[in-house]
Amino acid sequence: MNEKKIIELKGVAKSFDGETILDNIDLDVHEKEFMTLLGPSGCGKTTTLRIIAGFVTPDSGEVMFDGVRINDLPPYKRSVNTVFQKYALFPHLNVYENIAFALRLKKVSEEEIYERVEEMLTMVNLKGFEKRDVNLLSGGQQQRVAIARALINKPRVLLLDEPLGALDLKLRKDMQNELKNIQRKTGITFIYVTHDQEEALSMSDTVVVMANGKIQQIGTPTDIYNEPENAFVADFIGESNIVDGVMLDDYKAKFSGHEFECLDKGFEKNEPVDVVIRPEDVDVVDVEKGMLCGVVDSVTFKGVHYEIIVTINNFKWMIQSTDYVAPSQKIGLYIEPDAIHIMKKSEYSNMFGDYSSFSDELEKLSDVTEEEE
Amino acid sequence: MKKKALGNIYTALIFIFLYMPIAVLILYSFNASNSTSTFDGFSLKWYKELFSDSATLNALKNTLLLAILSALISTIIGTMAAYGINKMKNKYVKGSTMSVTKIPMMNPEIVTGISMMLLFVFVGVMIGGKASLGFGTVLIAHITFNLPYVILSVLPKFKQMDKSLPEAALDLGCTPFQSFFKVELPQIMPGIISGLIMAFTLSLDDFVISYFTIGSGFETLPIRIYSMTKKRVTPDMYALSTLIFVSILVLLVVSNLVSDKNREKMSKKAKKITKYVVGGLFATIAIITLIVFIVSAGTKTVTLNVYNWGEYISDGSEDTYDSNSAFEEYYEKLHYEKYGEKIKVQVNYTTYASNEDLYAKLKSGASGYDVIIPSDYMIERLKADGLIQPLNLNNIPNYENIEEQFRNPFYDNDPDAKYSAMYTYGIIGIIYNKDKMDPADLEKIENGEAGWELLWDEKYAGQILQFNNARDAFGTAMYALGIDVNNATEAEWKLAFEKLKAQKPLVQSYVMDEIYNKMESGEATLAAYYAGDCLSMIANNESLGFFYPKNEEGKYVTNIFADAMCIPTGAQNKELAEAYIDFMLSEEYEAARANAEYIYYASPNKEVINNPDYIDYLEDDYDLIYDPDFGNIVIVEDENGNPVETTYIEYMFSKYAYRDMSDENRAILNSLWEELKVDSTSFGGGIYIICAVIIVGLVAFFVYKYIQIRQRRKLYWNNPVKPKQTFEFTSTMAKISVPKELRAKDDENQK
Repeated sequence: MNEKKIIELKGVAKSFDGETILDNIDLDVHEKEFMTLLGPSGCGKTTTLRIIAGFVTPDSGEVMFDGVRINDLPPYKRSVNTVFQKYALFPHLNVYENIAFALRLKKVSEEEIYERVEEMLTMVNLKGFEKRDVNLLSGGQQQRVAIARALINKPRVLLLDEPLGALDLKLRKDMQNELKNIQRKTGITFIYVTHDQEEALSMSDTVVVMANGKIQQIGTPTDIYNEPENAFVADFIGESNIVDGVMLDDYKAKFSGHEFECLDKGFEKNEPVDVVIRPEDVDVVDVEKGMLCGVVDSVTFKGVHYEIIVTINNFKWMIQSTDYVAPSQKIGLYIEPDAIHIMKKSEYSNMFGDYSSFSDELEKLSDVTEEEE
Repeated sequence: MKKKALGNIYTALIFIFLYMPIAVLILYSFNASNSTSTFDGFSLKWYKELFSDSATLNALKNTLLLAILSALISTIIGTMAAYGINKMKNKYVKGSTMSVTKIPMMNPEIVTGISMMLLFVFVGVMIGGKASLGFGTVLIAHITFNLPYVILSVLPKFKQMDKSLPEAALDLGCTPFQSFFKVELPQIMPGIISGLIMAFTLSLDDFVISYFTIGSGFETLPIRIYSMTKKRVTPDMYALSTLIFVSILVLLVVSNLVSDKNREKMSKKAKKITKYVVGGLFATIAIITLIVFIVSAGTKTVTLNVYNWGEYISDGSEDTYDSNSAFEEYYEKLHYEKYGEKIKVQVNYTTYASNEDLYAKLKSGASGYDVIIPSDYMIERLKADGLIQPLNLNNIPNYENIEEQFRNPFYDNDPDAKYSAMYTYGIIGIIYNKDKMDPADLEKIENGEAGWELLWDEKYAGQILQFNNARDAFGTAMYALGIDVNNATEAEWKLAFEKLKAQKPLVQSYVMDEIYNKMESGEATLAAYYAGDCLSMIANNESLGFFYPKNEEGKYVTNIFADAMCIPTGAQNKELAEAYIDFMLSEEYEAARANAEYIYYASPNKEVINNPDYIDYLEDDYDLIYDPDFGNIVIVEDENGNPVETTYIEYMFSKYAYRDMSDENRAILNSLWEELKVDSTSFGGGIYIICAVIIVGLVAFFVYKYIQIRQRRKLYWNNPVKPKQTFEFTSTMAKISVPKELRAKDDENQK
């Protein structure tokens, strides 16, 4: 990865009506990087993006571009372009004119405009759509026009604000690939905002997990998944069983009334910790062979695997297994040392990781509220 | 099926009630005669008439100019205001700004009109201007009342617009200024256009606000039509109304076509056509405005502002003599001969509907009129208030043409300072339908024995018309009772009231202009009305007759009134005004005769009365208008009690003309008139009870609803607020899993 920093945020803070939205953010964006700001709604990721775009001025801190402070530079003077959440295509202009908009402002010759618009249309697979009314395009097509319009200016950085949020699942997957391809081809730095962790993990070079106006963790997708820094990250990225534990010694942890070997070290003796075990890392075995044993609460068929909720010491675990077990059956669980990840206690401890209230129905309900925002 | 039929009937009824009047108007605009009761064949006469009527066309031009300018300016200001209001962050500031914006809409027009007039006059006086009202002030007034409508039609478009559009524009390199014009403006355009059209239409038909804020020498169409009521609205107005209705219809269709709802449905071709139509329309309007500007800006002119009753001058319509343009020509020539200098004279001829309107205008101090033509009692009042000035008779040699007997009327009887020159006079008489009268009564009329009592004759119950105007209605009763109209005691007023009350069951209706229809169509049989108008009606219906009522002694007892030309104190060009008065009295230039023929009221001008052409023109009516008995000599006592000889008509002026009323008498008259009119409404007090029941019912309903809502809320209203949850998303995200093998590989890499 290119080590040259293109954008730096230093101690950036912002609050609206006395409510803190961003709390002292430090963030470096490198050239040609695909960076994703990931977090639940209200975490400050969009505000961060808008600060970089120039629509929001931070209360304090510095925004640097190529090492130059740009806090007070208006948006139209920044070599940054944005793809808006709802595309914000100009309804009174057709596809060609929408894409050509930025060039027209720069008084570029018509021939050059034609060439570059055609180039953009080819890139986003919309050749032949020049004359179309943008209001009559499908969501995916509008999305492509928005990308082409933002890229025609050859910006140094492209900001994307949940650009795929309004698309259906299949289209979203296609667009993810396409965006990644475009980013590779053009070598432009992408800063991508999303609340969808799958999107974040599959597309990004760097993922920035945000919550409560703070950055929780910055890292590669695998780092974020395998080595979550706290209970919030562990829970937000993928499924996790997070249990209270004590670090007895280096490589030795105790939780759920059993001592486990693990690969972590560097904690104090008997330090209370959070232990993360991914559901797919737990093997279902006979009761005698199990390190832990519990009673099956419920089993749901998920296609690739069964999702099994097991109660152990009043704590409900989620286990994903390809083998069927019957509810109320007593089973043993086996956990490999490399499946155990130990985290320091944080403000998010004990808030997540118990599946006692988990249900598909709840999931759907909260999805709806999410979309309404 | 049944429901559908009912629905159709309902729609049909609505259409009939809404559009029947307009259909009738359009029909009559093509009528060959000027009758409002019968259709005498198809003709385009009134359209031709309309386009040769320079005063009306001038008013139309003014109206259009005013409408276009005020619509354009208010649209620009309103759009800027909407932009600002939309950008407001503070909810309360925004709310109160919107309320303030809406006030001019909710405010009665009359309040807006009067307050603006006061402001303009006040400011005018402050900065020392004399005639502070004019085109500028009425323009400002129109812009003011148009603004809220524009704001309310543009603001929603701003709200509907995707908030990120201007951001996208900034992001792509627009400055905020460019962003507004290139991106936001196209989005709010439909709102702007509908605001513009609305402002244009509102300004086009505004009467009340224009009326108060307009200055001398500038007249809009609604004001002109309104002030025509002194005589009658001529059919060329039907033609004009038809044209306006059609234009508005076109505008409406166009504005519907440009609304976005329809745009979405329209095909591309239709869109294109609409574009051309709208474009063409605005281009036409723009070109007309431009032409008007060029034409009016071309020459330097001397203007004379004449303020007269509507339809009270021979104005060139129906191939008649055009007094004002004849005067312009005459004076330009006169001036050239006198000073050797070429000038352009422009008579700005505007009209009013009543003496009281005129008085209010002059009293407000906002006039700038050079010549006015008020009635007798009003001249008395204007003189007392110092609002008119003495005439220099040396500049009015034709004053000599006025008959001796009309030179010292009661309202202007100081021989040393003349304030007025009589223009016309009129007498109230009784018009009747010969076909429907009792032969005995006809005979009485023939013999000159008929009096006011005919209007109280029960034989004609339901066929009698009475003035819908307090002074004239009470006048008929007082003349009938032999009460002095100018010195009645309160008891005598009551007597007259009782008399009118007794007449009420016999009265078909209380009318003014509607008398034309009712008499010409034979719907009513008997009515008292102004002689000139009666003769016009007779011209349209042969079976109508007319006479002046007499008392038991065989003497004419009826109201007589005079209108005379005066010069207001604030006149800008007194010499020109006097030249105008002189011209109007002249025989040489035909103005006096042409006006007498046109107005059909009696002329005090001896050159007119004795002119054989005039006598020919009036035919039989001559003896009706100038009843020979009016010239009889009667002996009256002067202020010293000495007997003096005078003509009967002079005596009538002194005895039966209405004088300016004292405030007490006016109060008595108004309250008695109200009493008479109030229980003329058949529902009487019932309507108040019905209104009260409806209001009480509504209030009760809302109170009931309120209580019901409160009752329902009781259960949950005071529940404690649940503390806000920090994280609600534990289970909201689609969770994924990374295959174990992949992670294992990754772990190895790390190691």
